[in-house]
Amino acid sequence: MGGIQVRNFILIIRRFFNLILFAVLEIICFILIANSHTLQGDDMLNSANAVTGLAYKKQSDLFYYISLGKMNDSLLSENARLRKMIDQYRSIDTLKDMPVHRQLSTADTTTHIVKFADYRYRTARVINNSVNEVNNYITINRGLQDSITKGMSVLSGTGLVGKVEHVSAHFATILSIMSRRQPVSAKLKDGTFGSTTWDNEQPEMFTMKDMPQEAKIKKGDSVFTTSFSLFFPPDVLIGTVAKIEVNKKNGLQQLSLKPASNFRNLQYVYIVNNLMAAEKKQLEDSSAKSK
Amino acid sequence: MNGYLKNIFRFFIIVVLQVFILNKVTLHWFSEPAGALFIPFVYPLFILLLPFETPVWVLLVLGFLLGATIDTFMTTAGMHACATVFIAYLRTNVLNALMPRNLSEYINQQPSVKNMGWMPFLVYSGFLILLHHLVYFMLESWSFAGFGSLLLKIVASFITSMLFIIVYILLFTRQNVSRA
Repeated sequence: MGGIQVRNFILIIRRFFNLILFAVLEIICFILIANSHTLQGDDMLNSANAVTGLAYKKQSDLFYYISLGKMNDSLLSENARLRKMIDQYRSIDTLKDMPVHRQLSTADTTTHIVKFADYRYRTARVINNSVNEVNNYITINRGLQDSITKGMSVLSGTGLVGKVEHVSAHFATILSIMSRRQPVSAKLKDGTFGSTTWDNEQPEMFTMKDMPQEAKIKKGDSVFTTSFSLFFPPDVLIGTVAKIEVNKKNGLQQLSLKPASNFRNLQYVYIVNNLMAAEKKQLEDSSAKSK
Repeated sequence: MNGYLKNIFRFFIIVVLQVFILNKVTLHWFSEPAGALFIPFVYPLFILLLPFETPVWVLLVLGFLLGATIDTFMTTAGMHACATVFIAYLRTNVLNALMPRNLSEYINQQPSVKNMGWMPFLVYSGFLILLHHLVYFMLESWSFAGFGSLLLKIVASFITSMLFIIVYILLFTRQNVSRA
């Protein structure tokens, strides 16, 4: 009697095994869902566990790498903004009794931000670059349409790069300071000034000739741009002193400088516009005439 | 053995495809003010492409595993597993209704465009995918409130999922039939 019942039971189980399995699995699912719907219930299947966490980490690493370019661009524009802010503070004329702000006329009247800085920074990507010629040129992806004009100076994140020489609608070429025809007015930490030159006989070095005997120069001293130039903003690092040779006849020192910018892997540059250049040039030209 | 390996391989490919590519695709078809966001679901295809003679209990277990895997990645505790187990259970019945011969006669074959023809395959996959979406989105909303938008969501997701499934089929079907 009992045996037949057990056999029937087993037969029923075998007959409806799939349905029972289906029901059991669905019940498990519903329990999981119901648990996740309560506040204190812990999700048994969640994406914070080791395997899925690792998989998602790998994926995010990959996308992080892919989006590095975009991130770099945003950092660059932030840097340009910060550099401009520094210049705003720097352009306060502390010789006067009161800080004097020069207010510049700007095209956008919509914003109420008053622009005081003498220099305006823009960012650009390097799309072509030469380092082995006598006069080296760098091409950037900004041009007339981005209001780049001839004579604007160009900086990298670490130091001086050059000056805008030719401009087309969408591109501009920069005469790098690694060029024979581009001497740069330079000064040492103590204010002694001279000018740096470059020739391709010593491609990785600038020279700074005829520094006076009394200037105390050490290896590793920094050399900056001066405020004499019409184009370059002052106090931008040009390079550091790598070698000092003393001329035995007159005691003048010849310096070799290691450039601050790495010209061989330049990727991004800042284009700096001296907003006071025209006024300064006009004044200097008129006083030269009157001589 | 070849068949097993192929299916294990397909399991991983489909999970990776779903989790890392399609889950990033959020679509706004017929987007309402609330914004009916949805993701195309291609992963049920794994269950649909298992060989004809796969026993129902294997389908159920695999469906649960697949759904649970997707759930783990999407933090949707059990919803995908529930929907996938549901279609895994119905798969054999749908195939029996569609195929001219008994399923046990198709040895070493799997449901595909090649073995079934375009129309039967699309009916088979379309029906099951629609059921899957129905179950999933009903579980997701957990109520019949806003039934119209729920329906819209199901239909829109269904159409997108089917488009992606057709693309998958076209991409991953071996073109040379000389093997047979």
